[in-house]
Amino acid sequence: MRGLKYQMKSVLRDKFCLMTFLLPILVAAALNFMGSMDMSSLGELHFCVLENDLSLQTVTWLERYGPVTAYATQDEWTAAVNEPSTNVIGVRADGDSLKTAVAGDELEIFQQAAATLLSLYEQRKTAEQAEVIIRERPDILENLQGIFIPAVLIIAMFMGCTFNTMNIISEKEDGVAFVNEVLPMTPSQYILQKMAVGFLFGSLSSVVTACLCFQLSWQNFGMMLALIVLSSFVAALIGLFIGKFSEGLMIGVVYIKIVMLLFLAVPILCSLTGVHGLPAVICGMVPSQPAFEGIMALSAGNMAVAVKDIAILALHSIAWAVLYVLISTRRKNSITKVYRKESENP
Amino acid sequence: MGKGFCALFKKDCRMLASGKFFFMAIGFLALYTAYVNLGYIRFMQMEPYHVYLYDPAGTQTEKSPLVQTVSSMEAMDSILLDDANGVGLDVSAGNVQVVLYAGAERIDNHRIDYALSLLRPSGNYSPEILGINTPEQKSRKEITCELLFFELAAVGFLGIAAVLFKEKGMGVIRVHAILPLRKTWFLLSKLAVFLLSDLVFAVLLTLLNVGLSDGAAVLPAVLVQTAILSLIMALVGLFCALILKDFRQFTLAYLVIAIFAATPVFLSANTPVKLDWIGYHPFYHVYMGLKNAYFATAISPAYYVGSAGMIVVLFSAVQFVFGREIGKEG
Repeated sequence: MRGLKYQMKSVLRDKFCLMTFLLPILVAAALNFMGSMDMSSLGELHFCVLENDLSLQTVTWLERYGPVTAYATQDEWTAAVNEPSTNVIGVRADGDSLKTAVAGDELEIFQQAAATLLSLYEQRKTAEQAEVIIRERPDILENLQGIFIPAVLIIAMFMGCTFNTMNIISEKEDGVAFVNEVLPMTPSQYILQKMAVGFLFGSLSSVVTACLCFQLSWQNFGMMLALIVLSSFVAALIGLFIGKFSEGLMIGVVYIKIVMLLFLAVPILCSLTGVHGLPAVICGMVPSQPAFEGIMALSAGNMAVAVKDIAILALHSIAWAVLYVLISTRRKNSITKVYRKESENP
Repeated sequence: MGKGFCALFKKDCRMLASGKFFFMAIGFLALYTAYVNLGYIRFMQMEPYHVYLYDPAGTQTEKSPLVQTVSSMEAMDSILLDDANGVGLDVSAGNVQVVLYAGAERIDNHRIDYALSLLRPSGNYSPEILGINTPEQKSRKEITCELLFFELAAVGFLGIAAVLFKEKGMGVIRVHAILPLRKTWFLLSKLAVFLLSDLVFAVLLTLLNVGLSDGAAVLPAVLVQTAILSLIMALVGLFCALILKDFRQFTLAYLVIAIFAATPVFLSANTPVKLDWIGYHPFYHVYMGLKNAYFATAISPAYYVGSAGMIVVLFSAVQFVFGREIGKEG
């Protein structure tokens, strides 16, 4: 308990540690703010025309499909069409009809839109006569926030991993790790002390992030808490592994980057591609996948999937903890043997 | 004099090699190349909206081959549920009924009119092509530019700081204070090592991902922009490493740059979302310089003047902080 007190004292003095845990909370707050930004323009068609070239009615008709920007000169118009960050379709008058221009590097959907715009213009009267039924979209990922928020929560949960890695590497570089090896402590005591801070602060940061991002009922909050606690535990353990196997700070940072990329990429790709069967089982071996799936399931009200993910995370926790204890015990035994040999044959 | 600089340069190269920096750069090069060629290019495709038709009486004889026929309304509902961007046309009651799931209003207007136009297609019209790139070439240039920017802005920045913190810990700065060498060489040798490694990285990344002929065509302009970005980031890295206490504090600055500084730049430079204030973001101009080099677009001379001024100011600031650090150590 005293060791834990020292760990906490050291963290509270370290601004870096505090900022590490505050960062996801800041990002969550920023995302809530960004919710007011209009991101729908990402998939919209954009048109550019020359000033005084098209009639007002034609421009109004084009504006039904997307924003229209008018340019004074031909060069400006061509530059707007060729601008690589956009998919602007250039529209010009061609007698009573229209002609379109594209850069040629657009995605197929925009090239097709440019190719069929003339046909749409010719049939604009008949199109108005059709009956239209617009249904509510069933997809919970209607906007980018739907995927960003669980991703931020995953980062918050796995911040404990970053903290523990840095902690272990710093101790290695300062020589404290050698002292730890010969202290009269059992491997479980050592693990408990080393991972407690990362786990506690990672959980706390995730709980605050979850409160900022979701409005959950008490029952769902209980499930979310279980997901957070288990994920933070696994992350803190993985942090210990990375710290153990890193030779220096730089290598440690690289390992953290790779692990963080893996933790974010696997669940997002699984969510976007909808994997099933064996690939889903393999992806489930990355601990962030059940955590991410569980959060998404909770936000969609699917309790069965959330319970399954909590069970998978519990298995992860046991497996990683057992593996770490085994490795630590073996290492400690080998060090004690070397120490005994050296003291017997000085 | 040259001999002293060469010795420092060799020492920095050895430091980077022993810190596995070159090994890490090769690893990232392999990772980025695999991501571009095996993942990004395949995923970055967006087909036109699919149009599904329920026409039990077979009345729509002129329909485009792009229209897919379904056998029942249940089948239509099931397909639309899976393909929420698709549009259903039901002509079973005689008149045309359009069924779709809601999206942004203007996109929905286009989806509806596009689907209806496919029932009476009016010939094959091809738009005029004004650009020189194909969609794949554009994707390759865009992602290579993003990865190179990220590598130089974040990883290079981290690398130079890691080397400097290691040297600080080993007391190299203290030793350097009493060496009969010019103080600026210490900084210049580090800048030279990182500049060279960044230029080599840029050449390999561009040729492997943009392609040999396309990559070679844009390489001179890309190398100029790489040099500007590399110098700026290395100087910012040196400055932060000299004023911050330890590497952990530095990684926080790195996180802030990676998340808060790079995200709005990527959003504004690569998507139609244009943030009003982005013109005041210094990284935006540097990123656009690199992007313009990849797309062979003209770059304003004012940008070069601004970049040169920025490098001079940063170098002076680093020199000042370095002098102060040597004073402290002495």
